[in-house]
Amino acid sequence: MIMRSGHQLLLPANLLFIWGSLIAALLLNMLPLGRVPWMPDFLALVLVFWNVHQPRRVGIGLAFMFGLGMDVHQSSLLGQHALSYTALSFFATMIHRRLLWFAVPSQAVQVLPLFAIAHAVELLIRLVAGGMFPGWIALLAPLVEALLWPVASVLLLAPQRRAPDQDANRPL
Amino acid sequence: MPLGTLDRTPPSFFKQGPSALSKLLFFSALALFLMVADTRFRITQPLRATLATAMYPVQWLAMQPVRAVKNAAEYLAGLDQARSDAEQAAKKLALQSLRAGQVEQLLQENSRLRKLLALREQLATSGMAAEVLYDAADPYSRKVIIDKGLLQGVDLGSPVLDESGVLGQVTRVHPQVSEVTLLIDRDLAIPVLNIRTGARSVVYGDPSGSGNGLELRFMGNNSDLQPGDLLTTSGVDGVYPPGLPVAKISRIERRAESAFAKIYCVPQALVSGARHVMVVKPVASQIPPRPEVEPVAPARPAKRGTAK
Repeated sequence: MIMRSGHQLLLPANLLFIWGSLIAALLLNMLPLGRVPWMPDFLALVLVFWNVHQPRRVGIGLAFMFGLGMDVHQSSLLGQHALSYTALSFFATMIHRRLLWFAVPSQAVQVLPLFAIAHAVELLIRLVAGGMFPGWIALLAPLVEALLWPVASVLLLAPQRRAPDQDANRPL
Repeated sequence: MPLGTLDRTPPSFFKQGPSALSKLLFFSALALFLMVADTRFRITQPLRATLATAMYPVQWLAMQPVRAVKNAAEYLAGLDQARSDAEQAAKKLALQSLRAGQVEQLLQENSRLRKLLALREQLATSGMAAEVLYDAADPYSRKVIIDKGLLQGVDLGSPVLDESGVLGQVTRVHPQVSEVTLLIDRDLAIPVLNIRTGARSVVYGDPSGSGNGLELRFMGNNSDLQPGDLLTTSGVDGVYPPGLPVAKISRIERRAESAFAKIYCVPQALVSGARHVMVVKPVASQIPPRPEVEPVAPARPAKRGTAK
């Protein structure tokens, strides 16, 4: 892999940490906070993140399975989140080589259309299947997800940014 | 101990698995198939129930922090709140005690009169208490999840009540939990009776999805309706027991360009924020089966003079 200038060489990602972060995002999504249309989809965010950073470990199949889980939890149409996460994961795989060359804020701008597409897929499916229109405030959800991208980049890359050889000055 | 600095297992060069596009096509097709199977054929219930059971521990874990915060808030709200609640409850009880005292006598009288008229005995309904676990986060429908399921004997289609009226109907039953579609969902309709006039009609969930309201459809512009009329279940549907409060009419728009008035209603139950609910057995399960119709030999059509 070609090193980008000013880019830190990262430690290999821990598979347990990847799974842990995905489960944690699922838990965040499952918090019973009521019906909030603009609530960001944390699981979608983490899935896109790992799809971009570790495309060999987290792929479309995993996104599909997590989508089914979300469908059952929300008791929405079975396959609605699965389809939207599949599309999300596909587009993330498409842009993963390009995206990491940019700084984190520009990355956030570039993933915004992905989240918008994912939400549009869900909206379209539900309106065709005869659901209620959730209101224009739902448009905020992809925006919030894109704004959370820098936060996710800091949090989820933190274990890989540790010093390879700890000493007194760098305990972590 | 130094951590491994580099990934020591390089990606295989040739075995990359199927391409992203083929995976996308495969999983999209699978998702579309699931959606069609879910909406049209309704054959996905076993899959749903399996996944729901597998995910129940995770859901339970996710519920704990929110529940703890709620309980702590209630605890801190403290004595004053509890005292005023108790006072209100006592007032309500005093108001109801008069009617409750009469009920015994009325029931006896009713049963005697029914015997006199040789009517069928009124159906007794049995119920079980349940707790609302969470509002389904799906913004395209109005559903809640309750903590009683197949294992506790919840039937599909059971009416669900809270302390002030009908809340909705059980639309999916999983082993541990079940899903209740609220009255205000646009797909739910419930037959009602206007207790002031005795007119029967049907209340639908508000399709606009903006408000938590109901709509009384297909009532003529000149029909006898007033804001404030109480609508109760009529009991003709074989699901809801008769006489439960459903909604109150809040606003009536009589329009010149249409034969029907637009009538908005407010549900009586706490559709957002109900915590303890009652799941009642559907009335239809207690109605005796139809008598067998004896097969009658089809009468032979009289022979025409000329065969075609």
